[in-house]
Amino acid sequence: MSRSTVELDFFRMEKENSSKSHTQKLFDRRRSFRDIQGVISKLNPDLLKTVIASGSSNQTPTGNGNFLPSKASTPKDLPVYTPIFAPISGSESTPPLTIFYNGNVVVFDVPRHKAENILKLAEKGLPKTVESADLKLAASSNDQPQLLQTLNGDLPIFRRKSLQRFLVKRKERLTLVSPYSCADYVQT
Amino acid sequence: MEDQKVNKACSGMPDTVFECVIHYIHDSRDRDAVSLVCRRWHDIDAMTRKHITIAFCYTTTPGQLLKRFRDLESLKLKGKPRAAMFNLIPEDWGGYVTPWVEEIARSFRCLNAIHFRRMIVRDSDLELLAQSRGNALQVLKLDKCSGFSTDGLLHIGRSCRGLRTLFLEESTIMEKDGEWLHELALNNTVLETLSFYMTDLNDVRFQDLELIARNCRSLVSMKISDIEILDLAVFFSAATALEEFGGGFFNDQPERYSAVSFPQRLCQLGLAYMGNNEMPIVFPFASRLKKLDLLYALLDTEDHCLLIQRCPNLEVLETRNVIGDRGLEILARYCKRLRRLRIERGADEQGMEDEEGVVSQRGLIAVAQGCLELEYWAVHVSDITNAALECIGTHMKNLSDFRLVLLDQVERINDLPLDNGVLALLRGCCHKLRRFALYLRPGALSDVGLRYIGQYSPNVRWMLLGNVGESDEGLLEFSRGCPSLQKLEMRGCCFSEQALAKAVLQLTSLRYMWLQGYRATETGRDLLVMARPFWNIELIPARKVAVPDQLGEAVVVSDNPAHIIAYYSLAGQRTDFPDTVVPLIL
Repeated sequence: MSRSTVELDFFRMEKENSSKSHTQKLFDRRRSFRDIQGVISKLNPDLLKTVIASGSSNQTPTGNGNFLPSKASTPKDLPVYTPIFAPISGSESTPPLTIFYNGNVVVFDVPRHKAENILKLAEKGLPKTVESADLKLAASSNDQPQLLQTLNGDLPIFRRKSLQRFLVKRKERLTLVSPYSCADYVQT
Repeated sequence: MEDQKVNKACSGMPDTVFECVIHYIHDSRDRDAVSLVCRRWHDIDAMTRKHITIAFCYTTTPGQLLKRFRDLESLKLKGKPRAAMFNLIPEDWGGYVTPWVEEIARSFRCLNAIHFRRMIVRDSDLELLAQSRGNALQVLKLDKCSGFSTDGLLHIGRSCRGLRTLFLEESTIMEKDGEWLHELALNNTVLETLSFYMTDLNDVRFQDLELIARNCRSLVSMKISDIEILDLAVFFSAATALEEFGGGFFNDQPERYSAVSFPQRLCQLGLAYMGNNEMPIVFPFASRLKKLDLLYALLDTEDHCLLIQRCPNLEVLETRNVIGDRGLEILARYCKRLRRLRIERGADEQGMEDEEGVVSQRGLIAVAQGCLELEYWAVHVSDITNAALECIGTHMKNLSDFRLVLLDQVERINDLPLDNGVLALLRGCCHKLRRFALYLRPGALSDVGLRYIGQYSPNVRWMLLGNVGESDEGLLEFSRGCPSLQKLEMRGCCFSEQALAKAVLQLTSLRYMWLQGYRATETGRDLLVMARPFWNIELIPARKVAVPDQLGEAVVVSDNPAHIIAYYSLAGQRTDFPDTVVPLIL
């Protein structure tokens, strides 16, 4: 299930990881994702928006090139935007809108113009009602068939409720620092 | 002349003869056939049938059930589509037990065993049930149900002193207090099975469990929620007849658990949150184990290997794919009596599961060659080959239920499409295979492969297909086969409404279909091609759903594409649907 994605390789991870095995890369990418999150949350939000907005409106591959946003001022150690495109598998699906904010990553699969709407609303500083507003838009808009088209090939495999709850509970237990696990470290 | 003599002989046969014979006929399909022979046999079957399963509650009404089977002793009712177990169905979709409970309270005098699965149950329903059946109620199973609280259970605990089985597994229950368990402990001496496994009922006192163990000498099975295992030491020493235990957790120092001694007859075990340090407490009786549930344990691949090789009598194993190919090789070598194997999908996050914890063709081939008595096998794989599927077809002659899900972690699977492997598997297993699920990715099964499924599944009654086929043609070829297919579930298909409707008409045994993800039109008009008498069609139009993400940290608004649910019904259109459901009314 491949789709075209716009990946922002701020730290040139692709070049560094090219020597590793495929699965190793997959895992590394996920780990470094979290590292990137922390840094990106401290970046200038205006800059981020400009980059994402122009990324989602730019479908054709332009190859590796440096892109410097025209509006915001650019300090010397500004990350470089290098568009990387995965091969498109024949469908016309738009790339997902990925938002990093405050240590969270959220992915939206919406048409292009909706992505721009969301960004505009974010600029205006509207709170969580963005999601509900978009819900109403989606339900009543004319381009529902287009929305349906993009959804059809892209159904993630859902997990059983019981297992989902267990995995969440397990994660909670692991993040709680238990005195007994500390004791293990002390003894060894 | 001779015909008349034969007829007289038949009509002269007293009912009592046939009534004696019919008691030896248990299978519901045989009973169904018997009831179609003539009116007398139909009536005798109706009077003597002990148990009925209504596979989908909207196919008939309580009144219709009463009219035919007034002396029924045991009833199983299923409500929401299976997809509800995966959070895909709106909570208020339907499947209310109220009309059934009302009829049970009024009229079903002999009913003593009730099993509701994936249905909505209210406290008032439980109160009515407790009042009307009282001590006559022997079995109550609220299986993956929702809508009730511990207050409802309190009525059951107080009034149903004859209860032998209380089963609440995976139900969503609002917890007010732990009084329901206390009442059950005070009033019951005949309890054999109690399960509130995988519920969030945590306000339960382990002292009540001790009381149950002391009072109920026939207690054979106990499955609980999150209760500290050390607190159950007294329970375990009192429950001398116990054969099955599940649940609990381990929050104390590992050394302290060696003091817990388990009942002598314990042979079915599922210790939740059991880690590597606690695992050795199972070793002394591991060779006795017939059933092992590691779905909610904290073991890695190596731990699985260490434990499984000590269990040569294992017949049932449930675990996550953390068992890995290596664990499956150990299983194949040591557990020759294995009948049921379920391998669920573990966490996708890196660092949360063992890196070795993936299942591929290597593990499949090992199990296929080693566990020849396997009857049920459900597995989530990260990689697959045609050869592995062929191997299953060659060796597993007892397989009656096979379910394979190809996960999407590994981007590139080399040996696609799986057409030939699927063909070999089905041809090898075609005699016994009754239930079949194949959940793949686009490109993994071509139209040819889909045709093979149609051609070589003569006895399959239930199928779940995900991301299969390439075009409408494949679906139409598929639907020309599958002569026994009664229930079809499909997800992520590329088929048009017209093709789907035509396929439904071609599947001769089909009585229920669930579908999500297809080439929907704005109005759904093309579905009307399958319109026919007694055939209900419902849509759940595409919507956005807020679900917790995998980590439970953020709420993600995700798309939930349209569903179609279509089924035969003698009850007409249902009237209790929520806003999210749109019935196609013709």
